[in-house]
Amino acid sequence: MKVIKIEKKDWAGGIGKIQDGYRLFGPVRGENFHDFKALEKGESPDLNFQNTRLSPKSVVYPQTEVLFEYSLDEKEVDHHVMKDAVKDYSPKAVLGIRPCDAAAFLLVKRNFDAPDYKDPYWLKSYDATTFIGAACNNPCSTCFCTTAGSGPFCEEGLDILLVDATDCYYAKAITAKGENLLKNAGWNTEADGGAAEKIETLKKEAEAKISSSVASNQLKSKSTNELYEASFWEDVSFACINCGTCTYLCPTCWCFDIQDENSGSSGIRMRNWDSCMFPLFTIHGTGHNPRGTKLHRVRQRFMHKLKYYVDKYDNGIQCVGCGRCVRACPVNIDIRRVCDMMNSYDSKACACSEK
Amino acid sequence: MLGYIDKIKEISKRLLDEGKVDMIIGFKKGTMPMMNEPCFVKTPDEASKLVWDSNCGINLANYLTDRKEKIGVIAKGCDSRNIVTHIIENKIKRENLVIIGVPCKGMIDRRKISAMFDAEVRQVSEEGDAIIVKGNGFEEKLKKSDLLQDNCSTCIHRNPALYDELAAPLVEEQKDIDKYADVRKIETMQPSEKWDYFDNLLSGCLRCYACRNACPLCYCPTCFVDEANPQWVGKSQDETDIRTFHFLRAYHCAGRCTDCGACERACPVGINVRAFTKKLEKDCFEMFGWEAGISIEKRPPLDTFKPDDPGKFIK
Amino acid sequence: MEHMGVEPGRLNFSWISSAESSKFVDVVKGVTETVKALGPNNNFKKAAKVA
Repeated sequence: MKVIKIEKKDWAGGIGKIQDGYRLFGPVRGENFHDFKALEKGESPDLNFQNTRLSPKSVVYPQTEVLFEYSLDEKEVDHHVMKDAVKDYSPKAVLGIRPCDAAAFLLVKRNFDAPDYKDPYWLKSYDATTFIGAACNNPCSTCFCTTAGSGPFCEEGLDILLVDATDCYYAKAITAKGENLLKNAGWNTEADGGAAEKIETLKKEAEAKISSSVASNQLKSKSTNELYEASFWEDVSFACINCGTCTYLCPTCWCFDIQDENSGSSGIRMRNWDSCMFPLFTIHGTGHNPRGTKLHRVRQRFMHKLKYYVDKYDNGIQCVGCGRCVRACPVNIDIRRVCDMMNSYDSKACACSEK
Repeated sequence: MLGYIDKIKEISKRLLDEGKVDMIIGFKKGTMPMMNEPCFVKTPDEASKLVWDSNCGINLANYLTDRKEKIGVIAKGCDSRNIVTHIIENKIKRENLVIIGVPCKGMIDRRKISAMFDAEVRQVSEEGDAIIVKGNGFEEKLKKSDLLQDNCSTCIHRNPALYDELAAPLVEEQKDIDKYADVRKIETMQPSEKWDYFDNLLSGCLRCYACRNACPLCYCPTCFVDEANPQWVGKSQDETDIRTFHFLRAYHCAGRCTDCGACERACPVGINVRAFTKKLEKDCFEMFGWEAGISIEKRPPLDTFKPDDPGKFIK
Repeated sequence: MEHMGVEPGRLNFSWISSAESSKFVDVVKGVTETVKALGPNNNFKKAAKVA
């Protein structure tokens, strides 16, 4: 695909041209950290960031999403009937998503776009979105994307890869959707032959800066039961306080809970993010909870990401290596360490507890 | 505080060796700068993995709730006060505990330090009262007293309130501390300003419940926000529901909160959750002369009645 | 409650014995007047729909 050169002085102007055709989202600096927000008219994303505190998954998949509305007022003809909530699936674009986060949507898509079941809300929202990735020249020390199926210049899941080459941007159109956005923004100067080489150099440099890694090559061949029974879970889960930080910040966690809420004679059915860290996630109507202890819940999170997902889709782990959970965990539980423990686990050798 | 660790290891090893405890609950070195991970140690050899420095802000009383083993627990001032509260509230038996008291000089605020630098902070170490912060291409030596967690900077109970062993000589308590300046600032606001202040405070809340779960007081088998029959609070990102969670949780901590800062420290988006609890802590102090967790002999003000209890709010 | 912005007077506590009927009447009258003077409550009202 062709590479477009965008002079930095033309960046804001281009954004101005697409702001009527797309609802724009991008990283915005808050008091202490960046997060993805809807951009106001005339507002440019702040690309001077390493990564956002929260993942951009909420752009496609909001924490609270109304699915249906209903009326209980018997004077109305369609009372007690669930009606689709009015939704806005007009085009939107995320400016400055990191490649790892864009790749995360593809992992989530395997769940929401399965052969038997398709989630219309997620899919319509995802399909309406154009992803303009900001290649990561300066990854964090906690990034392990290159060993988690992604990378600082990874193009998977992106429509455009935007590379900051200091004096200008290079925009590599990856899909027709991306090409379309570039055209709408009036960014049409094709870069000279040196651009591809420059991008390649920056990519190599960025990849070399990734100082952290996980080993996941053995996970598939491990016995699920042996991993489940492994002795290290007590140690891994001890510190966990069972909050939802890791799952809510994770770009690849997708679980939700459905709730009805009445107000007078009308109501809504909505879905809210849920977390496997919460006891409420699995408690039965009888009061029995099959995942009754925090050990169960911590094990579930790691087993799902690093074993069940691997087995089910045969396409790597359910993690893109963004490192958010590592950075934000209040008690420093580190998925890199757990992944390595699982990957190297030998039930026969393991009379010991940990490393 | 680095010097404490040898003594902590020595005591832990001895207690395990002598069979006085089944496990020690303490900290091991974290994988992130300015982070240590709570851990347990069950054999004398493993005691060597214990650490102690200015990054042990997590309240270890939280890890004692309802445990039946004989436990040696490492406790700084606030941890010990929450252990006292746990004993008063029958969440742990005194005779099952060996409390290894750690006179504390304050924990550092990792968010404050990260926010001081544009580039990522990659390594943080300490030397006496200095904190050395390193990243790619920079290194700075800072004064620890400028980097304390907010609650530590106003703490007047650095020494453990209850202990069986001591990891170091007691430290001098901070004097002439204006503990409630921030609460008074809110108190002087107009009602609408107060409302907006808390709206703004909670605007980033994700309802991950890290504040609740990090809190040693929040041990209810089912929290009121998780009750389903009846369901007291909505589950969405509605601001009314979010606020209901925060202020009701604060009420549940009234007369029990030690201002240990665990809630604020745990919050992934940096909300000062203590803005709620501290008001109640102040009220308990001013109305009942009560500070939580100082003595296992005294009953808390909210479970006792005295004829001279203040009651001006009752008309 | 007042600390987080509920207006003074909107929330009231009273201790009335079942024998104190006149106190009950007085308190209810007083509370009604104070709350009416404050006007309608705009806080703690759930928005009709979540976006």
